[in-house]
Amino acid sequence: MGFLRYLTKKGIFLIVTLVFALYLTVVIANFGGYVDEILRAQARFDAIRSCNQDLACSQLDPASKNATIEGNYKSFVEARGLNQDFVSKSFRFTWDLMNFRLGRALELRDVEGGDQVSSIIFERLPRTIILFTSSSLIAAGMGIWLGLRMARRALSAFDRGLTVVSITTTVVPPWVFGILFILLFAFLFPIFPAGGMVSVPAKTDPLEYTLDMIYHMTLPAIALILSAFGSWSYTTRNLVLQILDEDYIYAARARGLPEKTILRRYVLRSASPPTVTSLALTVIASWQGAIITETVFAWPGLGRLFFEAIGSLDAPVVIGLTAIYAYLLVLTVFILDLVYGLLDPRVKALRRG
Amino acid sequence: MALPLPVPVTGLKSVLKEVVRTRTGVVGFSMLGVLLGLVLVVPFVAPFDVAGEWGDRQVWLDNPRDAAPEWSEWFAGKQLARTQILTPCNAPGPIPLSNATGSEPCPGGGWKKLVRRTTIFGDYVFITMERKFQFTADVFPSELSLAVWADFGSAAPLLTVEWKRPDNVNLTLLQVAPDQRVPTPNFYPLSTDTRPCCTIRELIKNWAITNFSANAQNVTLIRPEVTLFAQGGRDMLDFRRAVVLKGEYTLKIELAVGAVELGVDAKAVVYGTVFGVAGTDSSRRDLLIGLLWGAPVALAFGAVAAVVIVLLQTILGALATWYGGWWDEVVQRAADTLLILPLLPILLLIAIIYSPSIWLLLLVLIGFGFVGSTSKVARSIVLQVKEEAYIEVAVSYGASRARILFKHILPRLLPYTFALIALSVPSFIFLEASLSFLGLGDPLLPTWGSILGQAYTGNAAFRGFWWWITFPAAGIVFATVAFALLGYSFDKVLNPRLREQ
Repeated sequence: MGFLRYLTKKGIFLIVTLVFALYLTVVIANFGGYVDEILRAQARFDAIRSCNQDLACSQLDPASKNATIEGNYKSFVEARGLNQDFVSKSFRFTWDLMNFRLGRALELRDVEGGDQVSSIIFERLPRTIILFTSSSLIAAGMGIWLGLRMARRALSAFDRGLTVVSITTTVVPPWVFGILFILLFAFLFPIFPAGGMVSVPAKTDPLEYTLDMIYHMTLPAIALILSAFGSWSYTTRNLVLQILDEDYIYAARARGLPEKTILRRYVLRSASPPTVTSLALTVIASWQGAIITETVFAWPGLGRLFFEAIGSLDAPVVIGLTAIYAYLLVLTVFILDLVYGLLDPRVKALRRG
Repeated sequence: MALPLPVPVTGLKSVLKEVVRTRTGVVGFSMLGVLLGLVLVVPFVAPFDVAGEWGDRQVWLDNPRDAAPEWSEWFAGKQLARTQILTPCNAPGPIPLSNATGSEPCPGGGWKKLVRRTTIFGDYVFITMERKFQFTADVFPSELSLAVWADFGSAAPLLTVEWKRPDNVNLTLLQVAPDQRVPTPNFYPLSTDTRPCCTIRELIKNWAITNFSANAQNVTLIRPEVTLFAQGGRDMLDFRRAVVLKGEYTLKIELAVGAVELGVDAKAVVYGTVFGVAGTDSSRRDLLIGLLWGAPVALAFGAVAAVVIVLLQTILGALATWYGGWWDEVVQRAADTLLILPLLPILLLIAIIYSPSIWLLLLVLIGFGFVGSTSKVARSIVLQVKEEAYIEVAVSYGASRARILFKHILPRLLPYTFALIALSVPSFIFLEASLSFLGLGDPLLPTWGSILGQAYTGNAAFRGFWWWITFPAAGIVFATVAFALLGYSFDKVLNPRLREQ
């Protein structure tokens, strides 16, 4: 029960944070009445279109036609609460965002030509998740493995060299590596594609399609891993060194346990929960960094969409994406909390109790 | 392997002393010193009205487009073309009108200027300007352009431009009536002339075929700057195969008009393929200037953001922990919330809806960063320090809580604050670079991020313009690595278990 309570507590906090982030997005976006204007324009457009599509309405004389359009528009504005005061309107918009009612895009379209922001975004979401989840996992695995190695050979040349490499690559964001990689491996030595997710025309065979995608994913993934593994390895190394100094490790050594067992059973187990928490921020930063990394590699995910939306000043898409990012970050933190709960013996104890 | 536990270093002075003793600290400090020196020296070495001129196309007209740095010659193994500007005679001054036969001085440039007045077949004035120049590079120039200033009365003059080559197979490039009067120049962009009839390309093609029986088959694009400088022969129209004809070229300009006073001046640019120390971008801008002026912008943004945010977070974190109670709870929860906020998307939203000014974004950043991870660090340190004996002593002699906080606790936090500032500068430098990359930074200032962004939109990577990408990227990486190394060595000194001793 304790574990459930731990998760519920975290979950409630995250939901409050999410609502706050969404509300903030609405307030920022609608500070100068921006969202209102967009919605009004869309409502007017809808009213005119529905009148023109309606046989009876389109054959009316101009004056009464306009009156009908105006009436429909007014009733829509009232129904959506666009004539309400700012505070109640902002709550309504936040509720809309929470339900993924993200409105219509001004310029951008989804693959079928639809203009619903939610369908444009959800079409791109899986691609971003594939790229970032896989490279984050690889970076974490590689970083932890290297960190353990470094800690075991602490203060050797290997450790010092890798420490400097770790701290210097960590500060450089993936898109800087990316743009250099494209220059190196797509132009100078053309072994990888410079961008995109699949070849054009796309392969039809599912296996070939997957392989093609992995081939296109290699360069962005390496850039992401290179910029992310350092914080994992450096944090792991420091935590392991700290734990190696604890009394129970001396006790284990005194009992004559082999070094490998000590590392696996004692050190890694107590080092992993703090590693997870201290790196939640890194993962959050990498999600946001996707905006430029994907742009550089022309990876057709959320980040690239963000760039396109900025380029065409498509505010509804930008607002929707900000909301989706809020969801993504909150979900990431929740998953990390879950992992932490599973790893941390104290929470585990709660779970048993 | 257990490490001995050294005594923790506390005072700021002793911490700095220790930091300077580590190798990474020395490297970090000297890299930072280089950067600061650069920032101080730039206004004197490259005085430049950055905000006014960086975005102004007129300023850069005489530079070649997409030119590599000059020193890339060492790797190319051949002599690359430098830009030659045949400067006008009366560079800033007015053009003198003439109707008397004789030579005229050319104070601004190396033109030979001759005036002839003849009445044999009516009253005519001819002004001839001739300029010789050497072309010795192994590659062709990248562009050719000519500007002619003409001053004349009501009758339209005739302008003739002749091209004399080292092999003496000459060619008349232009025969036109200039339509602009002084001070407006008549531009003749020889390389990009696209007028439908009688284009220079057509003229050059016919000239090459007649004189050298050049092969015009399979040639889709004739580049005047190639053929004019090419050795005569079959391949001279094909810019992939043509070979440079080195030697002395002459550009001759003649303006003639009937019976009125006449004035002429000319400027020609033979654009090279290399330029300066850092090359140029597609808008002909000297990248060195952009790179040099990018340093103060990056450092100012990174340093201001880091100092303000870290200090705010430290002080608020310490205050809340020291006074405890619901203050503590509020700061903790606020920090948790702000850490999860999608900050970059929110900043982009603000930039796109309101104004793309990095200084506004800096304010927003501070607004969303008044508490955060640093407040948590401050909290853990205050909790530790709180229990120490000297605080108890201070309490026992009746010091107020505020006094203890400011006199005894905050000074203990100072070295950590330094480390955290150094560690957070890189992320802010990159934040600014990211915003500029997306075109949402300050539109007037050149920054490393905006140069990279323009390189990206200009497809620099696919076109192989390595200088346009590597230098700004190197600038950003250099600056951030300097701070990262500093932060690391602070960390090493402050967390003694990690010390290398």
